[in-house]
Amino acid sequence: MSILRKTTAWLIPALCLLFIASAVIKATRSSTGLDFKNFGMLPVVSNGRVQPLDSLARNALLSIHGKQGVPGDDAPATPAAWLAELNFNPALADTRKIFPIHHDDLLGLTKLTRDEEKSYSYSQLLPAFPALQPEARRIGATDSKTWSPYENALMLLTRNLTRYNQLKHALALPGQAHLESEFTLFLTEIGAALAESDKQTRGERFNESTMDNASSRVRIVLDWATMTEVYTTPSGNGADGWRKLPDSLTDSVEKGALHPATLAYSRLGDAYRAKDSTAFNSALKVYRAWLLENRPDSLRKSSAETLFNAIAPFYLSMVLYVLAFLCAIFSWLWLEATLRQAAFRVLLIGFTLHTLGLLTRMMLEGRPPVTNLYSSAIFIGWGAIILSSVLELFHRNAIGTAVASVVGFTTLLIAHHLSLSGDTLEMMRAVLDTNFWLATHVVVITLGYASTFLAGTIAIVYLIRRVYGKIPQSTASSLRGMVYGVICFATLASFVGTVLGGIWADQSWGRFWGWDPKENGALLIVIWNAIILHARWGGMVRERGMMVMAVFGNIVTSWSWFGTNMLGIGLHSYGFTDAAFFWLSIFMISQVLVMALGLIRERGPMVPPDPVELPG
Amino acid sequence: MAFRPFKFFSSLRLTVTLLGFAMVLIFVATITQVELGIHEVQAKFFRSWIAWWDVMPGAKKFFIPIPGGTLLGILLIINLLAAHSARFKLRWNKAGMIVIHSGILLMLLGEIFTGLLGREAQMVVNEGQTLNYSTFPREVELVVIRPDADGLETVTAIPQARLKDGAEFPLGGFTVTIHSYYPNSEILPESEATEKFDKTRATEGLGKGYAVRRKPRETVDDRRDLTTAVVDVIPDGGKSQGRWLLSNAFKGEQFFEAAGRPWKMSIRPRRLYHPFSIKLLDFSHDLYLGTDVPKNFSSKIKILNPGTGENREDLIYMNHPLRYGGLTFYQAGFENNDTTTIFQVVRNPVWSLPYISCAMVGLGLIWVFSQHLIKAIARRNKISPTP
Repeated sequence: MSILRKTTAWLIPALCLLFIASAVIKATRSSTGLDFKNFGMLPVVSNGRVQPLDSLARNALLSIHGKQGVPGDDAPATPAAWLAELNFNPALADTRKIFPIHHDDLLGLTKLTRDEEKSYSYSQLLPAFPALQPEARRIGATDSKTWSPYENALMLLTRNLTRYNQLKHALALPGQAHLESEFTLFLTEIGAALAESDKQTRGERFNESTMDNASSRVRIVLDWATMTEVYTTPSGNGADGWRKLPDSLTDSVEKGALHPATLAYSRLGDAYRAKDSTAFNSALKVYRAWLLENRPDSLRKSSAETLFNAIAPFYLSMVLYVLAFLCAIFSWLWLEATLRQAAFRVLLIGFTLHTLGLLTRMMLEGRPPVTNLYSSAIFIGWGAIILSSVLELFHRNAIGTAVASVVGFTTLLIAHHLSLSGDTLEMMRAVLDTNFWLATHVVVITLGYASTFLAGTIAIVYLIRRVYGKIPQSTASSLRGMVYGVICFATLASFVGTVLGGIWADQSWGRFWGWDPKENGALLIVIWNAIILHARWGGMVRERGMMVMAVFGNIVTSWSWFGTNMLGIGLHSYGFTDAAFFWLSIFMISQVLVMALGLIRERGPMVPPDPVELPG
Repeated sequence: MAFRPFKFFSSLRLTVTLLGFAMVLIFVATITQVELGIHEVQAKFFRSWIAWWDVMPGAKKFFIPIPGGTLLGILLIINLLAAHSARFKLRWNKAGMIVIHSGILLMLLGEIFTGLLGREAQMVVNEGQTLNYSTFPREVELVVIRPDADGLETVTAIPQARLKDGAEFPLGGFTVTIHSYYPNSEILPESEATEKFDKTRATEGLGKGYAVRRKPRETVDDRRDLTTAVVDVIPDGGKSQGRWLLSNAFKGEQFFEAAGRPWKMSIRPRRLYHPFSIKLLDFSHDLYLGTDVPKNFSSKIKILNPGTGENREDLIYMNHPLRYGGLTFYQAGFENNDTTTIFQVVRNPVWSLPYISCAMVGLGLIWVFSQHLIKAIARRNKISPTP
């Protein structure tokens, strides 16, 4: 290969590394003015786990708005900045148009007019509350499986509005402009009231109005505590030793001084409103120092998670996978060796990011790689890419790279959509709280899914390629070898994974096999893979038939992965969303169409039967 | 073409066809589960010879028959054994396939024996309570109890299978006769009863003033039948001394006098007594802070066995069952504001078969597929030695 070609084969990957470097630099850059970067790294407890404000903000925005950004020219630039605005300048935050309404009936109920962006702000929706609340109550009393799209949309909007309101009360009390002085005043007044109350108990003369004043203040603070679900103040020991901001204020009365966290948030709020970046950043620094001494683990984890959020390695991987795919495709037309090698290297860079992302998640959660639907998508892509890379090293024809990048990109896209419904680093419920089975059953069965999808994708390449004319012998034999090999692996992984699931069930509730929809789905994958192999060994199908069957494997696996969750019954039921059902159906129909392509016979002389490998 | 049975039963075509039918069965059973619930589906699809598949969605029904689980299982076993005796002589290079298929056979047998020998029951214990029996939540028994001296009781337990309209149970001096039996029912005070309710009324006991009506059996998984029987107590050679309404809806027994002694009776979930007792000392249920996601459930218990003299504490929690007395106790649930624990009590003498089978099939598959891979690499190296 000429020097120019060799250079190109290294240049393209080098450009990718530059791209990544610039993304990392952008993510780790300190902000000018108000230090939202370090603000985002502050740890709080929400949804049962310690997480940085950055994750809290991002997940809320994803859930409410579907994106991590806020629209508007003067909008906060980062999710953490938005959270600060929400808590410290709620009047402005309420004007941000982040609540989408797509359903016409719902729009009609709110009496709003159709906006260009289809998104509305909290202040626009506030007048609609008297109309929304009774509807939400009515719908909430019925079974969620029976809700119409309008009802689903309304309940989602109500849930998001509630979440928004709760976040608003997490770090500050709306309407209070000078929190630090209010807090300090609170301490002295309650202290004084307690002294008066002691006088009363001792039978001495006491000041009634002091006590009344104090009790109305206390009521305000207690009400405040019911309006948020975020625990901001670390006190006591362990994961449960966190208090909400209003509760920590009440706790402070006993100690006679504000907790450093309570003080910090009040100062941050005041500084924000005064647009005083020096005060804001110094309050931040003081609190960080306290955290470093008293809660170093929480701070370290939060910082790592914030960095992870900012770099967003999975999105970077997606870009690289697209590039790898394009290089691989073009390598079949032009500059074969150069683009093939470039494609593989770009794939590997993307894969490294993918792996680092996976490892970071494992570290943050303290768990094996697959713990929920989101992480299963990440891992399926990861597993498929490893297998395809092995195939690519074996066959060296860019097919492995092409398939790897397609599966990698698609699964990361699915993962992104799954992340819209909540915190992807959520805690594991009791029955799943066992790292051993998560590491064995879940990982192995996910590899089974990954390899069945991989075989199906390679088969799609074969069937589509076939439309453009007879496939040359070497390519056909390599595709055939790949599909056969991957299906063998898929049989092994899906069988062992399914049986390990049964053994886990036996350890957990004494029943190896319960005919649960998810169990049945996994069994279908095992049986289908076995059918393909037995049909091949029995000479019932040849090359083309095997490819068609492998594509059907995609349908079976997607049924098991997503379809079984949508039935609303069994142990793995996550409920039914219209969007997921729609895309699943589209996918399955597309696979059927590809299979149909395969059923069209070739014209011309009969192809001699290809060598069939019998076992043993 | 003449039908040659051995060739037919040992053919790969049969294997593929049977496996294909198995997929159809499993898929249809999964979909049907939404409507019918798991127990019904298991009986209709997996433990049957022929399963009926309702292909018309909606109110109208149109059933087509497909092979049921039992039929498919038996044919697959025959096919497996026939194929092996035809093609796989006991040779070393066939060892992989033999191990794989033996493992699968073992697993199928394991499931069959679990179905026959296994038994699942529940133990519902309140904090501070000591219990020496498990209950079967889906079965009831009609018990007639005679308190004896020394606080002991003689219990006559009539299994649900024997409860029918008109059944008679002579108990020495009198007979308990079932006037009407309702496998599932609704019980309402008389004043609220509509025409759908039976006219029969109890004259004694807790059921006085209530009316009963028949209901179809519950199929949804987390609902239980309300089993009721209207019974007469008839002393030998005399007339009915009263009519009682017995039901598992009533907590506690109902009293009557017969043959000169006090008795009590009730319908309750079928019990299985053990030679030991379990006392619940404390049930704890931690949630993740600020959520209702359970972090753990655990039951601190005491095992009391007068036979062996045991009196020891133990902890049962998720993924950590207690194995005792040939039974395994799993933390299954809880109720009453975290003061009652529910254990799943399982007897399964063949529990180890799936573990052995998994190991055999897994190792067998790895062995066979590695051989393929090695051959493939060797073939490739012969064609084009690596540059």
